[in-house]
Amino acid sequence: MLFLLRRILFYLAAFIAAATINFFLPRLMPGDPVALMFSSAGSELPPESLEALKLTFGFVDGPLWEQYLTYLSSIFTGDLGVSVKYFPLPVTDLLGRALLWTVGLVGTATLISFALGSFLGMVAAWRRGSRLDVVVSVSAIFATSIPAVVTSLVALFVFGFTLGWFPTGYAHDPALDPSFSLAFFASVAHHAILPLVTLCFVLTGGFTVTMRNNMINLLGQDYVVMARAKGLSDRRVMVWYAARNALLPTVSSLAIALGTVLGGSLVTEVVFNYPGLGNTLYQAILARDYPVIQGQLLVMTAAMLVSNFLVDVSYVLLDPRLKGSG
Amino acid sequence: MGQLLIGLRRNRKALVGLAIVLLIVLVAVAAPLLTEYNPAGRTGRPHQPPSAEHILGTTRLGQDVWARLIYGAQTSLAVGFAAGLLITVVGTTLGIIAGYRGGKTDEVISFLTNMVLVVPNLPLLLVIASFVGQAGPMVIALILGLTSWAWGARVTRAETLSVKQRDFVKAAEMMGEPQWRIMAFEIFPNVFSIVGINFIGSVIFAVITEATLEFLGLGDPNVISWGTMLYNAQKASALSVGAWWDILAPCLALALLGIGLSLLNFAVDEIANPRLRTGGRLARWSSLIRSGEGRL
Amino acid sequence: MSDALLSVRNLTIDYIGAETDFRAVDDVSFDVAPGEVFGLAGESGCGKSTIAFAVSRLHGPPALIRKGSEIRLAGRDVLGLDKRALADFRWREVAMVFQSAMNSLNPVLRIEEQFYDVLRTHTGCTRKEARDRTAEMLTLVDIRPERMRDYPHQFSGGMRQRIVIAICMALDPKLVVMDEPTTALDVVVQREILQRIDELRRQRGFSVLFITHDLGLMVQFCDRIGVMLSGRMVEQGPSEAIFRTPRHDYTKRLWASFPSLKGGVLG
Ligand SMILES: Nc1ncnc2c1ncn2[C@@H]1O[C@H](COP(=O)(O)OP(=O)(O)OP(=O)(O)O)[C@@H](O)[C@H]1O
Ligand SMILES: [Mg+2]
Repeated sequence: MLFLLRRILFYLAAFIAAATINFFLPRLMPGDPVALMFSSAGSELPPESLEALKLTFGFVDGPLWEQYLTYLSSIFTGDLGVSVKYFPLPVTDLLGRALLWTVGLVGTATLISFALGSFLGMVAAWRRGSRLDVVVSVSAIFATSIPAVVTSLVALFVFGFTLGWFPTGYAHDPALDPSFSLAFFASVAHHAILPLVTLCFVLTGGFTVTMRNNMINLLGQDYVVMARAKGLSDRRVMVWYAARNALLPTVSSLAIALGTVLGGSLVTEVVFNYPGLGNTLYQAILARDYPVIQGQLLVMTAAMLVSNFLVDVSYVLLDPRLKGSG
Repeated sequence: MGQLLIGLRRNRKALVGLAIVLLIVLVAVAAPLLTEYNPAGRTGRPHQPPSAEHILGTTRLGQDVWARLIYGAQTSLAVGFAAGLLITVVGTTLGIIAGYRGGKTDEVISFLTNMVLVVPNLPLLLVIASFVGQAGPMVIALILGLTSWAWGARVTRAETLSVKQRDFVKAAEMMGEPQWRIMAFEIFPNVFSIVGINFIGSVIFAVITEATLEFLGLGDPNVISWGTMLYNAQKASALSVGAWWDILAPCLALALLGIGLSLLNFAVDEIANPRLRTGGRLARWSSLIRSGEGRL
Repeated sequence: MSDALLSVRNLTIDYIGAETDFRAVDDVSFDVAPGEVFGLAGESGCGKSTIAFAVSRLHGPPALIRKGSEIRLAGRDVLGLDKRALADFRWREVAMVFQSAMNSLNPVLRIEEQFYDVLRTHTGCTRKEARDRTAEMLTLVDIRPERMRDYPHQFSGGMRQRIVIAICMALDPKLVVMDEPTTALDVVVQREILQRIDELRRQRGFSVLFITHDLGLMVQFCDRIGVMLSGRMVEQGPSEAIFRTPRHDYTKRLWASFPSLKGGVLG
């Protein structure tokens, strides 16, 4: 438990670090940071809203540390300011709505590709050198080395525009209002397939390679050889002796991979015009809507930290050596 | 180091990967010889499909896609290698120092490394790049270099920890060599394959990320690169108006470069980690089994 | 010869390389009688483990057992077993203790589980029956049966090695191969474990193929010894004879390199 507590403190520090970057960036840029941050293309804020925004982002009269504390306290009270482009919509509302779609997309894609990649890596390593292994590892290399933006664009071109199998934008049929109806869910699923498959394509290869390498390094371990000497079935040795142990380092690489996952999903959402964080952010970038851009970093970081924590917890559950110790 | 080069010469993946990368480099360098068009200028009617005149068609502004592609390769390669080098230098230096010095130094560097690893990279880059405004290629390379070294630092540190225990390092310490000399001349050559993997991986990352940032509208749209080609094509709704060549050309170029570099990376990994190798001996083993020379 | 439990004839094993092969075991023949302890001695890298692996057919690429080799256990042709027969043969006939005490047990499975999978595979018993058998086996090696619910990392190195030995006994095999079973342990624990093995052997009557670097242990523990030099078996015979009247030059040098043995450990 101490282990998890230490991790939580570390994540808190990481979150504050991200906030600190947000705080200093506008102040490091040449020119007036207030003008830079809140006077984006064309829109003019009412003076009292501008005052509120300045307070939120710590632009108060006083020394730097006072400004910094003001900013941190607004973040920790959940105030991320308002969008300049969609004034007066609060950033939290704007991002919160988008986050739902992103979490759904990213969560599903991560689970599918982690399971699929670990499975493929396991089988490839077990039958190392076979034709299956060659096919799996070469396709894994190719899949990981192609940028998400390329995969998304090609998938959109082939399956969306040319074959017309899937819609080319949005999360559901705009004619349907969100409801708990079968038609609505079917529409959501239909719209999600292409971005989901694309993301899985981008992600699976990495997990495959990691699992394969970990597994190959484990196959010479005495306990794996002993399992074979015990006359256990190939499947039992492969899954419960080799893969089960190879999964531990693979799970910890999952934590690092999550950054890539989030990055990949940003791009995929933009290409498929999917209403998640990526798309919201894209609009914000085009309009230089800084409160939203900064808020996005905090939300993404928080999402990443929460996922990392979940990974930590599952690591503890998977490795008996960590349970109850220290 | 020498062993690595010999291994690379024998590895088929390495050769194919190297051929692809060299081909792209060659095309980029020879760009002025390979097209008569000015990549920035209007050279035809907008959105013309590929033809003898414009082998990859034209953009919405009537620019020649092939000319933009091969001039753009210069930018993508330059950013990729510059940022890759910067990432590797920072990561290797920090990794070796942390691993070798240990103690407080290690704690500080490792804390920093882990911190950078849990802040999602692309969102961070987006924030930084958006404040920079329209970032030119070299600014992008610099930002990448300063934010993306953590993975390399972590693996280099781990490798350093094991090299540090070896006899020749202990011997050098006994002889009273200064620390920086030990790190530079004893440790560094022995973590070289990790550094190689880190470098190639970082180049891939940099090429991909530069293209992504530009695609998302954070680059300077007047620069000619594969990323801005994607950005302009996307803004011109190239796919919905049926001008697929405008978008697919940079897509395929990026994919090809990525595949070439990854093959190289995979090969280095295989050579550095013999257990991953499958190659010639296994083929020979299988043929001996098949011809009944022996069994398991 | 026909009454031997394990009979190895002309065993030749290569590690296949990209261009040239490495001959790790070269035309080795020896017998192990029922109830006998046979020792394999020789310097590091001479091919002892390679032989041990071959007895349970544990090798994977790039190892290759050359044609003409023969391994028989209780009359059965081990190299001719098909997949099913091999799975059945392993552990029921030949069990094995590996070089490192720390790593022979799967760190993520409870001890109980590591008994259960072998028992279920070979005897198809229920979990309850397996638990009883596990308790019985653990008692044999002086480990409290309650501890079967624990994970390997909760035991000391010596205990872990005793657990492995208990797992070996679970199916009452005819032969136990021990590849340096005590290398990772300290001297006192080593002695304890070997004594325990010796008692078990007397009670249960299995044979042992014993491999170690420690010649002192070897002479004490083995009935007969085979001495290996870079893949070849240069001399074999009763321990007494090998120790007192070695014929091969290499054996003499081997003994000479262990001054402590001169005092006559056997006495
Ligand atoms: N997978 C392999 N590929 C190539 N050569 C190998 C392989 N495994 C073992 N060898 C070689 O075969 C020879 C015999 O190895 P083996 O493990 O049988 O030695 P050993 O007598 O058990 O040594 P030790 O006492 O150190 O355990 C060694 O020289 C080793 O280098
Ligand atoms: Mg051995």
